[in-house]
Amino acid sequence: MNKRKMKETLLGGLIRNNPTFVLVLGTCPTIAMTTTLFQAFAMGVATTFVLIFSNLFVSLLRGLIPDRVRIPCYIVIISTFVIIVQMVMQRFMPGLYSTMQAFIALIVVNCIILARAESYASCNPPLYSALDGVSMGLGFTAALCLIGVVREFLAGGSFAGMKIPGFPAMDGVGASAFGFIVFGCMMALFNFAMQKLRERRERMEASVLPLAGGAAEEVAE
Amino acid sequence: MDKAKFRSLGKSVLVLALIALCSGLLLGLVYRLTYVDPLLSTYERFAADTGASFSAMADEEGAAYGDGRVVYYALSDDGTVQAFLAEGGGGFGGTVQLYVYLRGGKIEKIAVGDHKETYLGRLEDAGFLQGFLGKDIASLDALATDGVAGATKSSNAVKSALDAVASYCGEHAPQGTVSARPAPGAGEAAAVRTSFAGGSGS
Repeated sequence: MNKRKMKETLLGGLIRNNPTFVLVLGTCPTIAMTTTLFQAFAMGVATTFVLIFSNLFVSLLRGLIPDRVRIPCYIVIISTFVIIVQMVMQRFMPGLYSTMQAFIALIVVNCIILARAESYASCNPPLYSALDGVSMGLGFTAALCLIGVVREFLAGGSFAGMKIPGFPAMDGVGASAFGFIVFGCMMALFNFAMQKLRERRERMEASVLPLAGGAAEEVAE
Repeated sequence: MDKAKFRSLGKSVLVLALIALCSGLLLGLVYRLTYVDPLLSTYERFAADTGASFSAMADEEGAAYGDGRVVYYALSDDGTVQAFLAEGGGGFGGTVQLYVYLRGGKIEKIAVGDHKETYLGRLEDAGFLQGFLGKDIASLDALATDGVAGATKSSNAVKSALDAVASYCGEHAPQGTVSARPAPGAGEAAAVRTSFAGGSGS
């Protein structure tokens, strides 16, 4: 087992290839399910579950699935796990299911899941594919929760359902159009921060290299 | 047809069929594990929403009125709360289920049940359901109420469900009684006849 590859896979979906802020996949649930932190978290967890298991099974069956029917096979696998999520939520969380049910069913057509099945799980071993599901799912959940916190605070003056004194609710801010604005601003902030980090790392590497070169010359002398 | 091509096609169909079969078996197993009797879950929901206890369903057959339908009707054991599971058709994603609770002939609470509406949140944002609270069911004209812009079909489905409850009350109130059947596991005390309007049962 390659530890470096595992680390890269695990961190890839969280930061470098974040499905929401970098790959800009799954924008429908990102806008629809981020009006409150709780809904955003629940959507993220449901999607993560489907991502992990669909990636795992696509990877396990990758040698068996003929190329020409791979997409129908992936859809059958993905929809199976989405229906399982629906059944479990309906049984154990009927209140939450009642508010989210239309969007839970739409996880089947979430681009992140099909994209990871096609681009990663279909050409990687099961363990790495499941890890990629965990990583992408956590990245998606984190992004949804961040947007959810901002939208809930601005629209309702609350955090995770708890009213914050001194911050009034703003009418119209909970609408989808404002959701797009928040999403865009957070995406810009995330990518700006990533770019600054990259530049800083490059500067550090550039300053270290001549020293290393000099040290090598001294050793040679 | 080329033999190799035919074999490849056969393999594709077989693999797809096998995956679908395994998927069906897995779903069947999960369905068995998570299945809840709809009648029992309705009792639980009625009790959770109102805080009252329900041990008998006064009407399990229900009745249809236009696009709306009353699925179940129950009277609380103390006879003070009338609980309805109603559904309205014509929504954006099909039917919308509503749990409607009456106390003293007035709408005390409305809760949304199963639905596939993506714009139902707009009704909540606009306070559409809250607008019906406290209204007398005998004089309710839900269909004449203004819908919510941007969620017209969802509004119509909700209005149809409420109209069904109003029609059901209008139809059954004069007759007085409907027979009650015990809830699964509720014991013998529940097998009684309850009055629709007054709550003389149990």
